[in-house]
Amino acid sequence: MDFFALIIVVLLYLLITIYLGWLGFKHTKSARDYYIAGGEVNPYLMAMGYGAAFISTSAIVGFGGAAGVHGLSLLWLTAFNIIVGIFIAFVFIGRRTRAMGRTLGAQTFPELMGMRYDSAFIRKFSAIVITVAMPLYAAAVMIGGARFMEMALYINFNVALLIVAFIVGAYVLAGGMKGVLYTGAFQGTLMLIVMISLLIFTYVTLGGVTQAHASLAEMSHLVPEFLVEDGHRGWASMPELFSPNWWFVMSTLVMGVGIGVLAQPQLAVRYMTVKSDRELNRALVAGGIFILAMTGVGFLVGALSNVYFYDTTGEISLFASVSPTTGEPNTDTIIPLFITSTMPIWVSYIFMLTLLSAAMSTLSGQFHAIATSVSYDLYRGEKADDQARLRLGRYGTIFGLIVTILLSYVLPGSIIAIATAIFFGLCAASFMPMYLLGLFWRRVTPTGAKVGMVSGTILYLFIMFFIYTQMTTIFRLSELIFGKTSLLGFPLNIIDPLVYALPFSLVVTIVVSLVTKKTIDEEHVQNCFSFVKKKVKRFN
Amino acid sequence: MLGLEDPGVLAAYLLSIGGTILCVVYGLLKWNSDE
Repeated sequence: MDFFALIIVVLLYLLITIYLGWLGFKHTKSARDYYIAGGEVNPYLMAMGYGAAFISTSAIVGFGGAAGVHGLSLLWLTAFNIIVGIFIAFVFIGRRTRAMGRTLGAQTFPELMGMRYDSAFIRKFSAIVITVAMPLYAAAVMIGGARFMEMALYINFNVALLIVAFIVGAYVLAGGMKGVLYTGAFQGTLMLIVMISLLIFTYVTLGGVTQAHASLAEMSHLVPEFLVEDGHRGWASMPELFSPNWWFVMSTLVMGVGIGVLAQPQLAVRYMTVKSDRELNRALVAGGIFILAMTGVGFLVGALSNVYFYDTTGEISLFASVSPTTGEPNTDTIIPLFITSTMPIWVSYIFMLTLLSAAMSTLSGQFHAIATSVSYDLYRGEKADDQARLRLGRYGTIFGLIVTILLSYVLPGSIIAIATAIFFGLCAASFMPMYLLGLFWRRVTPTGAKVGMVSGTILYLFIMFFIYTQMTTIFRLSELIFGKTSLLGFPLNIIDPLVYALPFSLVVTIVVSLVTKKTIDEEHVQNCFSFVKKKVKRFN
Repeated sequence: MLGLEDPGVLAAYLLSIGGTILCVVYGLLKWNSDE
């Protein structure tokens, strides 16, 4: 460890972060500032903040590590992240969310849903799902940051976890959404520069774009036997169609996160931070480039690390990641290991800070969502005054932080990608039909939304705990109660819960809406969709 | 093409770049549009 280089890099980074956090604190004067940054954020800040909240150590370390095992098929997730998570999200979903959020005066995702359907139950149920499930995703992100710190600084993993938790807690508590956006934009910019450099460095080291890919393709005979049996056909090939490996990559890693992104409460709230659609259009430019540079580079480098490790150590990435203490591979360490062994030490430090930035900006968005759920949606927020709500938001953050730290200590290795996929998948099954139909279809009823949301949540959780072996083996509930890892056999036990739960929840929401009467008055629905009326008038 | 022989992987690679171009072009074309 080079202390001088480390101290210089860390000091510079901390100074900038603390300054931006302070700037956010200074400009946070009301609860509206704390929740949605006053609703007037410029597009670069919005895009970088959205991108930095969306992409984190989970994407780079967790999914990059998964690409080290499963190969370039993970690039489908990059394609989904850009086309669905940015283009469709901003152009189609973001505009309506922003407009409806503004019309109704909503400041959080549960509040928006509760107001759209005029239902306190929907608001509270959404807030409970977020509060209970978000720490799992936050823990995945925190573990990613701590793993890199552990490797770059040669410090104990538990100490690294506490350092990450302390820094994040400090600036989320101080700045609310403004602090989150300022630091997120700085961290996003830093991540962009570093990831593009990493891509260039990796391709140059491996002999150029075509040569690097070709070398990876030539290594297919080195895929371990247990992965070949599951349908793995090499790191530069797609897995065998409908094999266990194909289902894991496509249904859990690609679809779970690729589609689930549309119903992420902590991202939906970002649309409400901008002043007009113009900012959303402009944010597309930075957003698209940012996601390509983060996930595209992360997954490419993860897969290509096999070529590097094989050339230098004679081992593929999976085996290079074997932990000396447990003797088991930990895919969460592939990317940190690749960077610390290929880059000069001071670049590793910058990269560590970049990854910590990614972790911190995502974590702060996550804690912000937990905080607002606890203090604003679950607590009878309307009775509290502005300052009391601001204070409660900060208590909510502390609550989320403590739960996340505790969870980070008990989760097993190679957990980051799957824990992220669980949160995204659960949000999709619970919220997506109600959220998207609520934006586009006037006929959806509160009863339809409630039944769809609850049934989607229950079905997802049931399959997660009792059927899908990739997840049942983490929670072990099925083993504990029934003595087996899955209640159903092949192929149902290898398909992600999202594949069943999302269509089920969607159909239930539509059918129940069609057979139930509208219980909210027409005037309220008209008000929710007033932005559509305005547009028609303009054309006329 | 690009050393990638598997059409599934190549498609994902190109779609990722194509998607980014779509975002950039659309964003620039609608830079001043509020619709």
